[in-house]
Amino acid sequence: MFKFTRAFVFVAVAFSFLLAACGTASTPAAAGAPATQAPGSVTLTGTGSTFQFPAEQAYAEFFPAVDPSVVINYTGTGSGAGKKAIIDGTVDFAGSDAVLNPDEITAGKDLQIYPFLAGATVMAYNLPSLDPKNDPKLILDGKTLADIYMGKITMWNDPAILALNPKIASKLPAQPIFTVHRADGSGTTEIFTNALTAFSSDWTAGHGTVIDWPTDKAGTGKGGNGNPGVTAEIAKNQYSLGYVEYAYAVQNNLPFAQMVNKAGNVVTASPDSTKAAMTDFANAFTPQLTAVIVDAPGAQSWPIAGYTYIIIHQTSMTDCVKAQKLVEYIHWILTNPAAIKYATDLGFIPLPDAVQQKVLGTLSQVTCNGQPVHW
Amino acid sequence: MTRFQQLIAKNGARHRRHRRIVNGVMLSLTGLLTLMALVPLFWIIGYVIYRGAPVLNLNFFTQLARPIGMRGGGVLFAIEGTAVLAILACLFAIPPGVLAAFYAARNPNTPLGIALRFSTDVLAGVPSIVMGLFIYGLVVVPMKHFSGFAGGLALSILMLPTIIRTTEEMLKLVPHTLREGSLGLGAPEWKTNLSVVFPAALDGIITGFLLAIARATGETAPLLFTALGNERFDIGAIIQSGIQAHQSIFAVIGRIINQPIDSLPLTLWTYAMQPYQERIDQSWGVALVLMIFVLLIEIVARMWIEARKRALQG
Repeated sequence: MFKFTRAFVFVAVAFSFLLAACGTASTPAAAGAPATQAPGSVTLTGTGSTFQFPAEQAYAEFFPAVDPSVVINYTGTGSGAGKKAIIDGTVDFAGSDAVLNPDEITAGKDLQIYPFLAGATVMAYNLPSLDPKNDPKLILDGKTLADIYMGKITMWNDPAILALNPKIASKLPAQPIFTVHRADGSGTTEIFTNALTAFSSDWTAGHGTVIDWPTDKAGTGKGGNGNPGVTAEIAKNQYSLGYVEYAYAVQNNLPFAQMVNKAGNVVTASPDSTKAAMTDFANAFTPQLTAVIVDAPGAQSWPIAGYTYIIIHQTSMTDCVKAQKLVEYIHWILTNPAAIKYATDLGFIPLPDAVQQKVLGTLSQVTCNGQPVHW
Repeated sequence: MTRFQQLIAKNGARHRRHRRIVNGVMLSLTGLLTLMALVPLFWIIGYVIYRGAPVLNLNFFTQLARPIGMRGGGVLFAIEGTAVLAILACLFAIPPGVLAAFYAARNPNTPLGIALRFSTDVLAGVPSIVMGLFIYGLVVVPMKHFSGFAGGLALSILMLPTIIRTTEEMLKLVPHTLREGSLGLGAPEWKTNLSVVFPAALDGIITGFLLAIARATGETAPLLFTALGNERFDIGAIIQSGIQAHQSIFAVIGRIINQPIDSLPLTLWTYAMQPYQERIDQSWGVALVLMIFVLLIEIVARMWIEARKRALQG
């Protein structure tokens, strides 16, 4: 008989779990928000961009010291997955390096995009004839880069490349250029193809997170999955060229090219040159707070850069405790000197002051159940 | 000597030699192929230990993740998450699975029994990511958040076919005479099933559970859209804050299973994809922990079964 009792207890426990799950799910948390919350009682869940993941991870570690009631949980699932999750309303915020397209804006209704960091994209290369320590870096300009990815320039000793690199001209081999790109849908691809579109009217393959690469059709190009995949393809194929995120290239000691920018100066990717590009375009924000910052006109501006964004529901949040904490969190990562330092240490570039003011202006308009939310 | 015996004597020596040679060749061939089949297994185990062991230390098991660039930190969140997910998946899969198996074993040729067997076979062949998407649409979107509850459900669907089929097979192996004896002594059907058939088949059934758990704890795909992942998951902190806020045990359990949760394979996947060497090293550590985790389940269960066998015999 006791076996039967045991089985009954077992089933009862299983059901109590179910009831507990349903019970908490249906509790309206917004009703009568208490002034202070228990430590760790508010979880803000975010997902998306793998590019901003290291920064989010640092924020998640340090924000609870500012507000112990909040747990930040960010997972890197890719910009596309992040946008889908915030449209479905299954997360509190999404991370994305790509902007929302018109369909997503329609589906997401009141989505608002907040730039909070930027990153540079660099051209990593594998030229065994160059000594990474002693030889000067390879130099490219926008037109040449577009022609290479268009399949018009196919050899490393093409006159256009030789003209840009007089110091290492003798070391550029008569070898075909193998181009590497991202195979997955990527915000980095969007930044890179935005740049190519701006560089040259000859670039006709368009721009976006995924495009048809002309060099793939010609058999001289290949895709790699994520930054590691692109890097692996570059390492594997001699005489190859590919684009990766600046922070990634620095972390992994990849040699990457200098660029001739719009002003005609040779510039190196760095936090300063990226910040210069961001400042050039401080007034270029659309009402949705998105901005393309490629091919910047400034004298020292790096030409291939882009913002990474947090996306939230601007007016339709109903859990006001969460809305409050989320706005406080975004305000903290935008303005807190310590938070900015965590991101800078990881190779990200924080917003210039002019941009920051604009973003904070939009953040102050967040509402919950019709009531304004203040940080 | 008859003619027949003469023939045997004449051909026997040749035959014996022939058979010995064939036997020798086939034996070494099968032995060699067995070795070849074992090589990948030991290669994998050896390489995971080689890469994973250096990053294992006490902190790895007791701390949450730390940001890139700050040394240390651990995967406590993933270990706890895997345990919670395994428990949830068992709670959701075992009761219906075992009951369905009883039905199928007792009524194999009824329309429902045939349908059950057919659909478990189909279910076993469904790619695991589809389970995740199914639960995403069914649970995550309506609930408006990712949760351990959804992750457990997705894993439980994955476990169901294994549990149903092994339990059914084990129940069928119980001798008819045992059932008939019990029924003949006047025990009702339910009592026969519960206290005669079920205990007799228990060892095999438990082994089936373990196979199912081992498979489920190694899955990443169904969790991507359901559990999502949570590097800040800390049961200790949840319980502590629950006590501080005077919450009931059900509220605390609800909070544990109602938020996104991580698991070892999920962490392994995310860490291995990251550009930082530190994370890649840790992902090898996670792989090793996952291997040990599955091995521990196996060992504990084997010991339990052995102890039970001894108790039954003694």
